[in-house]
Parts: sequence; structure tokens; C-alpha cells
Amino acid sequence: MEKMLIVDYEKCTGCRLCELVCSVFHTGASNPSRSRIRVIKWENVGFYLPMTCQNCETSFCTEVCPTKACHKDPENGRVVIDQDKCIGCKTCIIACPFGHPFFDIKERVTKKCDYCDGDPQCVSFCDMKAVDYVDADKVQMAKKREVANKFVDLMKQVR
Amino acid sequence: MRTEHIHPIRNGRHVRPQEEWKEIIAIYLYLAGMGAGSYIIGTLIHWLGVTLNPPSAPSITLFGYLLDLTKVPIFWGPIMVSIGAPFLILDLGIKRRFMYACLNPRTSWVARGFLILSTFIVFGLVLLIKSVLPFEWLYAESALWHIPEVIAFVFACGTAIYTGILLKATKSIPLWNTNLLPLLFLVSALSTGSMAIILSTLGTGLFSHDSGALKALMSGEQTLVVIEGIVLYLYLYWSYRATEQGKDSVRLLLFGEKKLIFWGGIVLLGFIFPVILKNIASFFHGNVVLIFVSGLTLLCGGFFLRLGVLSAGMKEQTPMQRLIEIQYDMRAMKMKGLRERVVDEHGTRTTHKDTRINDKAQMSNDKLLITNTE
Repeated sequence: MEKMLIVDYEKCTGCRLCELVCSVFHTGASNPSRSRIRVIKWENVGFYLPMTCQNCETSFCTEVCPTKACHKDPENGRVVIDQDKCIGCKTCIIACPFGHPFFDIKERVTKKCDYCDGDPQCVSFCDMKAVDYVDADKVQMAKKREVANKFVDLMKQVR
Repeated sequence: MRTEHIHPIRNGRHVRPQEEWKEIIAIYLYLAGMGAGSYIIGTLIHWLGVTLNPPSAPSITLFGYLLDLTKVPIFWGPIMVSIGAPFLILDLGIKRRFMYACLNPRTSWVARGFLILSTFIVFGLVLLIKSVLPFEWLYAESALWHIPEVIAFVFACGTAIYTGILLKATKSIPLWNTNLLPLLFLVSALSTGSMAIILSTLGTGLFSHDSGALKALMSGEQTLVVIEGIVLYLYLYWSYRATEQGKDSVRLLLFGEKKLIFWGGIVLLGFIFPVILKNIASFFHGNVVLIFVSGLTLLCGGFFLRLGVLSAGMKEQTPMQRLIEIQYDMRAMKMKGLRERVVDEHGTRTTHKDTRINDKAQMSNDKLLITNTE
């Protein structure tokens, strides 16, 4: 079964532990600027939103990548960056509307979330379960669709 | 105590432009645009068969061959582009992998640009070298040479427009994602290019300062500067009107952190100085020094135009951020509605609008899960 990360901003406390464990797991350095997950914060209103790669269906990053290093995995539809092909041109970073791929200052290539090969560290360390790794089954998909429809309605009303 | 509701998210939002592409890319965009523009103008001069001043043309002897440098002042564009292209490589994370950059020309504009630029550089340099070499077996007057000339001309136009399309291709930055940006960069490339041609021909004595060709070139250049100003105005106007982030970008450029680049670099150096100095120069009967100074300021203005557009680029909000903003709005409106209902009990009037807003707020308060796919 395919799995995916689900983010619930209402549970997030903005502790940024996920950033820390992510960078420790991937790079060995406790440097949140090299992590693959970022918490966007609005301190003045207390909103915290952990953001990871959305694995978009029509992804801008794969479109603009000049080397095909950033491509879709044909098996599970996830976006993958080939570290041997990436030239570090940062075009995908600029193209992504979610601000996701990150330029690794040490390795000089672009990095993105790879679900830690099936065991996401951010999920196992998040006490609030604001980030969760769940099956992308029908229930989840229905929930997602419902949220999306609700969002569309909301947008229509606001406009 | 009742205070006016201030939108804390929108007002407290930190205006943060992109920081991935900086001065190095601006230098590259500028050199590529200026080189391509000057090549376009130079080729037009060449095709129109304008009489050049051969006696004053310099020539050097190398290995016993007399090299003819007459055409160099109008054909040097490819050299500028080939100086600019390494700046793009300089910006890469791993520089030795730059040859990989042409692997995906099907969707990526960076890869297409790699091919356009290298084609232009190759054809332009071949034509430049051909115009210098004196060998008879080159048949310099042969009509067949028109084919590479046309190809180089087309790719020069492509290079000038490409610098804009490279930025236009990023859909998440509203300031860049407009059709006016390639047009702006094309016009800017032509105006800086023709100014560079004026300077180089004047400096090498190819055109004397009162020759008809130079006067035509100068008036064309002035027209281009005026057109550039109009396009820049339209560009900023449309970006301002398009989206909220476009508005933020234009504000940042006009009144925010980057106002020095805009007012000092683009407006003062790119538009006001050259026009004033050229007018003064026309009073002093073609004072060459004044023309040179005005030309150099205009060239600087072209660079600052690229730098300004690059450094003010701001990403659109993610849908999640927007959702949170809306939800906060709803909550605030609901609070306001409640407050007014309390006031209503004391005899004041509630509007129908507020009750409608309450319903919306109720809806948005349902728990919304944000999932990780679009």
C-alpha cells in the first residue's frame, strides 16, 4: 500500500523537532537549515504549518529541471531528485509554489523529502502527531477530496 | 474597548523576496541581453549596407596576415554573450556538471536556453572570425554566407527574448510570470545593445559623430528608450494589478528595500541621466565625452533593470497559507459579529452581512485536514 505524509496544522506546536531529527537523520548534523521539512510560523497568531513535498500530480519542479534529475518515480508517482544528475541550478526551488526543495549548502545539490525510505523520522518524533504517515487508501483519499471541495467552496465564497 | 480589526497575518507578513537567484544571474541576463541586442543592431547595419569609415579602421598583422578589424565594432555581440554564459555556470552548485544542463529541452527553459545560447555563440563567433580573416578561400562576399548570418540573427533574437522567458517560466512568482517580461527584456536588450554599438563605433572611429548613420542610430536609440519606459510602466502596472504577491513585489521595488535599485539604478541611470546628457551633448555640437558618459550610464541602467526584477521576485502564497489566512479572517469576522450582536441587544442595528459572515465562519471552523497531495 502506498503511504503518504499528512499534516494537521491544528496539532502542531511549532517546536521544530521534526526539522532537527530530519537533518540529523539525513546529514548527521543537527542543522535545521539542511532538513527536508520546514515549519512555517505565524508567531503573532500562533499558527504553525509543517510543510513537506506535496508530490504534485503536475509538478512544476520536474517541468523546469534542465537535467531530468528531478523526476517522477514511475512506480509510486513520487517526485525524486537524482543526486548524481543534479547540477544545483536552483530552478526547482524557484518553481515550487510550496517552497519545498532545499539547496544543501554542504553537498551543493538540491534535496527533498524522500520519506526516509519508508520510516519518516519526523513522524516518529512528533509527539503531537501533527505529521502523520498513513496509507493512501480510499478512506484517506475521500477525506482529502472532501477537504479539497470544502476549500474550493470556501474560496468561492470569499471571492 | 473596541478597536479596529487589523489583519495580523497580512499586516505582519514578512515580505521576503526570493534569494536563490542573485547578482550573478543578473550579470548573466544583462550580458546575454546586451550582447544579443548589439548583434541584432550590428547585423541590421551590415545588411543595410551602411558605408563604414574604412580609412580609420584599425588593422593588425598576425603571423604575416593582415587582419581586417573593420567589422569588429558591430559584430562583437557573441563575445559578450560568451562572457556572460560562464556566470550561469558560476551560479551552479556543482560547476563541473554544467554540460548536463541540456538534457531536458522538452519541458525546461533552462535546457532550451543552453541550446539557444550555444548556437548563437557558435554562429556569431564564426561570423566574427570570418569578418576578420583575410583568406581568399573563405569567399567573404559569397551569398552563401547569408545563411549563417540569418541563423545567427534569429538566434540573437531568441537569446534576447529567452532571458525574459527564463524568468517567465517560473509560474509561482507573479512578478515574473507575465508576457510583458520577455518584451521588456527584448526592448531593453535592443536599447542597451544599440547604445553599445554607438559607443563602439564612435570609439573606434567607424562612424564619425556627425555622420548620417550615427544620427539615425541615435534617434532609433532614443525611441527605444522611450518604448522601454512605456513597457516598464505597463509591466509594473500589470504586476501590481495581477495578484497580491505581485503587488507586494512592486511595492518592494518602488518603496521598499529595493527602492535604491529602482529609483537610483533603473530610473536615474537608465532613463534620466542618458536623456539629459544627450540633450546637453546636442547643444555642444556632438561632444563625444558626454555621449560616452550618457551611454555608460544607460548600460548600467540595463543591468540594474535585470537586478531589480530578479531581486523583487516574490513567491505566491501556498494554498495552505492562504487557507490559514482565510480561516483567521473568518474567526476574526465571527468575533466581530458576536461583538455586534452584543451591541445589538443594547439597541444598535446589525446588518445582514454580518449574519452571512457568521455562517461562513461556522463552515470554516469544521476541522479541515490538510493532506499532502494537491
